[in-house]
Amino acid sequence: MGDGARLVTAPTGQRVLLDGRRVTLGPQPLKGGGQAAVYPVADHRQIVVKLYREPPGAEQERRLERMLTLTPLGGRPIGPGQPPELAWPTAVARGAGGEFLGYAMRRFGEPGHVQLVGLFTRAQRLRLFPERTDWRFMLGVGWNLAFMTARMHYEGLVVGDFSSNNVVVDANGFVTFLDCDSIAFTDPATHEEFPCLMQTADYAAPERLAGGPATRQSDDFALAVLIYQLLTAGNHPFGGVPRDSESETTVKDNIAASRSYVAAPGCVIVPRGVVDPTILPPALLALARRAFGPGVTHPAARPQAQDWLRALDEERRLARVCPDRPRHSHGSHLTTCPWCARAAVTGHDVFNDTSPTGPNPSAASAASRQTKQMHLMQPVQPVHPTQQKRRQRRREQAGPPSRQAPTWLPDTGRPLALGLTILVAVLVLVIVVNLAQGH
Amino acid sequence: MRNERQPRTLPASYADIEFENNAQRLPLVLCLDTSSSMTGPPIQTLNDALRSWTRELHDDVSLSYSVEVAVVTFGGQGVCAWRGAQPLPPQVPVSPFVPAHAFQAPVLGAAGVTLLTEALELAVRIVADRKAELRAGGLQYYRPQICLVTDGLPTDGTGRWTNAWQRLVPTLTDDQLARKYRLYAIGVGDISDMGEQVLKALAPAFNARLHGFPFRELLQMMSASANAEQRGAGDEVFEKIFAQFRTQRPAWEA
Ligand SMILES: Nc1ncnc2c1ncn2[C@@H]1O[C@H](COP(=O)(O)OP(=O)(O)O)[C@@H](O)[C@H]1O
Repeated sequence: MGDGARLVTAPTGQRVLLDGRRVTLGPQPLKGGGQAAVYPVADHRQIVVKLYREPPGAEQERRLERMLTLTPLGGRPIGPGQPPELAWPTAVARGAGGEFLGYAMRRFGEPGHVQLVGLFTRAQRLRLFPERTDWRFMLGVGWNLAFMTARMHYEGLVVGDFSSNNVVVDANGFVTFLDCDSIAFTDPATHEEFPCLMQTADYAAPERLAGGPATRQSDDFALAVLIYQLLTAGNHPFGGVPRDSESETTVKDNIAASRSYVAAPGCVIVPRGVVDPTILPPALLALARRAFGPGVTHPAARPQAQDWLRALDEERRLARVCPDRPRHSHGSHLTTCPWCARAAVTGHDVFNDTSPTGPNPSAASAASRQTKQMHLMQPVQPVHPTQQKRRQRRREQAGPPSRQAPTWLPDTGRPLALGLTILVAVLVLVIVVNLAQGH
Repeated sequence: MRNERQPRTLPASYADIEFENNAQRLPLVLCLDTSSSMTGPPIQTLNDALRSWTRELHDDVSLSYSVEVAVVTFGGQGVCAWRGAQPLPPQVPVSPFVPAHAFQAPVLGAAGVTLLTEALELAVRIVADRKAELRAGGLQYYRPQICLVTDGLPTDGTGRWTNAWQRLVPTLTDDQLARKYRLYAIGVGDISDMGEQVLKALAPAFNARLHGFPFRELLQMMSASANAEQRGAGDEVFEKIFAQFRTQRPAWEA
């Protein structure tokens, strides 16, 4: 009965226990997914509670209990203004009789956090993201996504159900993964294995569609699709319909059949208005072709998060800004603005609203440049110690510091300063430890 | 001015398909009874529910990415396809599908007869047409959803009860088996046992007879199913969502 009542508007919401403390949930879920619904909590705006629709079972309860003993990715990020990269469970939610119902986590809701899919259409980009959201921003989000994935893999976590719905992005381009209760991991203390049981068809590698387990390589596949979508302003690399026009073909079918126009041009009728894959700088395009060509059927051939990270890093420093239209930027391999060229041919501007009723893009953006710059900090994505060192070294060799996240502003010294601070902290720590051992 | 250039070079056949979005689409048809028995509070409730659902749809970043909505009504003198809030004159070659983020709820009135058979035929036809349009544009689609809602029995143009709906059954059965769309048939209000039998024959997998006019929950169920479709969920998930929707009846009666 209580189950049925959940979706129904009631004057007051359900009561649950979090760590033995009683809280009242909002009467309506923020949003109901397939297997669960996520509720706001009265008087605790910063958390939400996810309740499973069906009794979740001992297995899931055990998983949550073990997750609560872990603090993956170092628990807290390094950069100022950066949200955690994982919406990790913070408490188990129980009913009055102690029965397991779900879990609590930090809230990553709109307007501060928007699902990644919001970046994939012009209408939503213009509505939900800062005025100046352009290709460089998309590139930066791709970098952050690759970074998050690399860090998770480094710590033995498999994202598993990696999709444009389960990742949210903030105004600085920082990313957070939401569906942590589906992450695959091995408990370091007990060596219990917790597999990922969820998947999203449009991001599932063929071996997962065929029923195989989630692995780092299946993450690599989803990551490649997401990065490709970001770099093409939303195009799925397995879009398009086969030439025999009667068949009903979905993205999932194209993945299963290894049909990607990115790797094999001409294998499908591409979606009208598709952005040409060569919008990707050569190094990135080569990775995409590997992922959507040989990598489809050979998981080991897929580029890994680290590979994307390196290639994206190069490009972030080189990206060019179009002098003619706001929100137009592109890779350094192109000498003229591809977005202007496309607008001239199709009448559609991927980044600006050109409808007669739309805002005047140049005026709007000029205004925002003045009001927003002061508020925007240099966003910094946390850096893994080993990576930090490598990046530090490269910076020293290569001159200008590389950017660490989508940047609206020219580089400031912030990343360098931050890196130095950490270095000093580590040195102090080493000295202290040495002294302690000296006794 | 940099944005003065407004060329309309878009081929006419593409004009109905949002250009700067080539996501896989999810067509959704609401096939709604607006016959005289819906007069008063029921049609009011339906209009209110459509309005708030539209708002939720706009706010839903992932649904509004791929869902396209068309409305078909049966009432008055016949059937009508709506393009958002605009009724389309018959035979106009304009698609009634609107991207979710641009969808506006029509304001419906109740009167006349219950041409359920013709409405369902129209719904099936516009889905088939839409698929062809999308395919021609190189666009993919998820399995469409058609949601039929009625509070009565199918009639002919004079308001007399008719068996004509039976001619639909073979096609609908084949189409559903071939996964061409998911058909939901929902009876509301004072629908009779016979009315319920009609719905069961039309939509063997997803039919329900609900007390009152729980349109809001019904539309939320359509969204939940659309969400599951986007994830690529298995049949059992849709059955679960629907079963949950059906069993919520007692709470609505309160
Ligand atoms: N920590 C969170 N803060 C805010 N919204 C969240 C959070 N976690 C999940 N959500 C939202 O709740 C919805 C339902 O989540 P979930 O049950 O995980 O969906 P599904 O099972 O369909 O993946 C998601 O679409 C997401 O947008």
